[in-house]
Amino acid sequence: MNVLEIRNLTKKFGDFVAVDNMSLNVREGEIFGFLGANGAGKSTTINMISSLLRVSKGEILILGRNIVSDSHFAKMNIGIVPQDLSIYENMTAYENVSFFAGLYGIRGALLKERTAEALEFVGLADKHKSFPKNFSGGMKRRLNIACAIAHRPKLIIMDEPTVGIDPQSRNYILNSVRKLNEMGCTIIYTSHYMEEVEELCTRIAIVDHGKIIAEGTKEQLKAIITDTKDIWIGIKSAGSQDIEPLKQIQGVTSVRLDENTIKITSKGEVNNLNRIIQQLIKDQAEIRSVEEQAPNLETVFLTLTGRNLRD
Amino acid sequence: MNVWNIMIKEIKSSLRSTQTFIFMLAFPILLMLILGTALTNAFSSTAQIGDMQLLYSNKASNPQLIQHWQGFSQAIEHEGIQIVPAADGTNGQEEIREDRYTAYVELGDDGIQVYGSSKHAIESNIIQGMLTAFANQYNLAAAAFKQDPSKAEAILANANGGSHIVRETSLDPNKQAGSMDYYAISMTTMIALYSALPGSFLFRSERTRKTAIRLMASPVSKGSLFAGKVLGSTIINFLCIIAVVLFSLFVYGANWGDHYGMVFLVLATQVIFSISLGLGLSYLLKGDSARSFIMIFTQIASFVGGAYFPVDQRGGAWITQILPYISPLHWANTALTKIIYADDLMAAWPTIGVNLGIAAAFLITAALIMRKREAL
Repeated sequence: MNVLEIRNLTKKFGDFVAVDNMSLNVREGEIFGFLGANGAGKSTTINMISSLLRVSKGEILILGRNIVSDSHFAKMNIGIVPQDLSIYENMTAYENVSFFAGLYGIRGALLKERTAEALEFVGLADKHKSFPKNFSGGMKRRLNIACAIAHRPKLIIMDEPTVGIDPQSRNYILNSVRKLNEMGCTIIYTSHYMEEVEELCTRIAIVDHGKIIAEGTKEQLKAIITDTKDIWIGIKSAGSQDIEPLKQIQGVTSVRLDENTIKITSKGEVNNLNRIIQQLIKDQAEIRSVEEQAPNLETVFLTLTGRNLRD
Repeated sequence: MNVWNIMIKEIKSSLRSTQTFIFMLAFPILLMLILGTALTNAFSSTAQIGDMQLLYSNKASNPQLIQHWQGFSQAIEHEGIQIVPAADGTNGQEEIREDRYTAYVELGDDGIQVYGSSKHAIESNIIQGMLTAFANQYNLAAAAFKQDPSKAEAILANANGGSHIVRETSLDPNKQAGSMDYYAISMTTMIALYSALPGSFLFRSERTRKTAIRLMASPVSKGSLFAGKVLGSTIINFLCIIAVVLFSLFVYGANWGDHYGMVFLVLATQVIFSISLGLGLSYLLKGDSARSFIMIFTQIASFVGGAYFPVDQRGGAWITQILPYISPLHWANTALTKIIYADDLMAAWPTIGVNLGIAAAFLITAALIMRKREAL
């Protein structure tokens, strides 16, 4: 069963087409990765699903019901974890969750139970009387999630839920996402951290210029680019390395610098490793390691969009 | 039910805001104290009158005049004025210059010469006023004497009774506003007008705090959000106004009259007006310009509406006469003053009507723009 169906969705801002005739299905029980660089149309799509923006053309169905004609039903079944923290700093953690859950018609003892349950779920039960202004970034992110789940939505949309937090909180949130999914929630997950998407998501859609350019499981997406290979070369002070000569080498499609690693994507059939090493020696780079990798999601994304996810 | 939830959240958030307490409570209470104390004399309805000593020199030979003068002297002595006959060789004018007496009178057959002390202007004017009454009465008697001497005697006899030479007529001094009374009203209405600022933040704050996303994603209608937030903000701002009124009443002893119901009704409509103004402007003007506009408007409205000092509309340029009428503070202050000091309850209704009418216009405008917008 499809929890979310998007049919020929279009959103225009004046002459600018932010989402262009997009169609997509998210099935029940999935953790669906929604990938796109900044300005790709990902947030606009999410905002239309969340009823924050009106649809210019096409339709969105939640559990088979149109979000425009049956908006109350759709909203009752969606939980939003916005990228920006969407909580009241001058209300306690308990009051925040209770207030937002109350907007979904939950009252009395059930409201107390659901609020306590949501706070327990994100590990803030012992901080329920504390104000978010005294929370760490990770705790605020967890409260942001608690506010979205107390009404037990069928579909949870998580927009960059791990931005700017410590690894411990990130692990906590990723485990929470898995647990929510095990409890029966369908999740749409967006992130700039490709490894998170690769680790969590059962299916992924890549959005570029308002269109879905690829969709499928990780394996299906990686299969699209079997003709490429990744070469990772660890060197001392990669930041000072001039990458332009490397880009000129036959078969190289992209070169990126990431801390002390030069990440090169090359056509699979071209044997150019020797020339790359020679160029680096010529540039007096101190090589520490050389690894040839199978394509990962990041490579897929880069190959399909020509951009890094964090661009 | 969601209206209730949103309203309670609004009240709770505002109650926890230090800004609310400083701006809506501490600020007007402190200003009342500072202005009310500093400008006490400017509002004084009583003048301090010192001892009055009248030096006189009698050079008249007319027995009727002398008799009439004696009657007058007794009457004004009864009112507390000390009558001192000038010794021979005394220079009365010099005595006045030396500030030994309040006034000097020379009584002669050709008339009465009065010299007043410029150092005791009020006292001197009182004596001159009494002497004018005396002279008029004597002239009347003298004129009557030429026609019918018996009537002249009756006039003089009546005058010598002295009961109406000095007559006190009070204009109910208890009904005059003192400085603290004035600033209690003007600061309260000024701070009610400042409710326009929280009004302008009602939805803007949800947008900047990013909570608008969650509110919009919830199954709550824009109408419920609108009603809940406007109600919540009105209640919390009105509670602040009530607290300011009660503080000024019980701590500063300000006069709020006897018609508390009507006073609070005017203030409540003033709060509704201000919040609606702020909310309407936040939808009509883009970005932060609503806040800037409100700051400028409230300052000007406070200034010309008499928040910092009473504005005298009599005389002056036409603009000084018209400007106060555009200030919502002026409408409210006028109504409240009439309710408190003239027991004129009907004076409240025009202000209530104007406040609610303008509020309705701004609320409808804001609601229509909000409905048209995609987000809040």
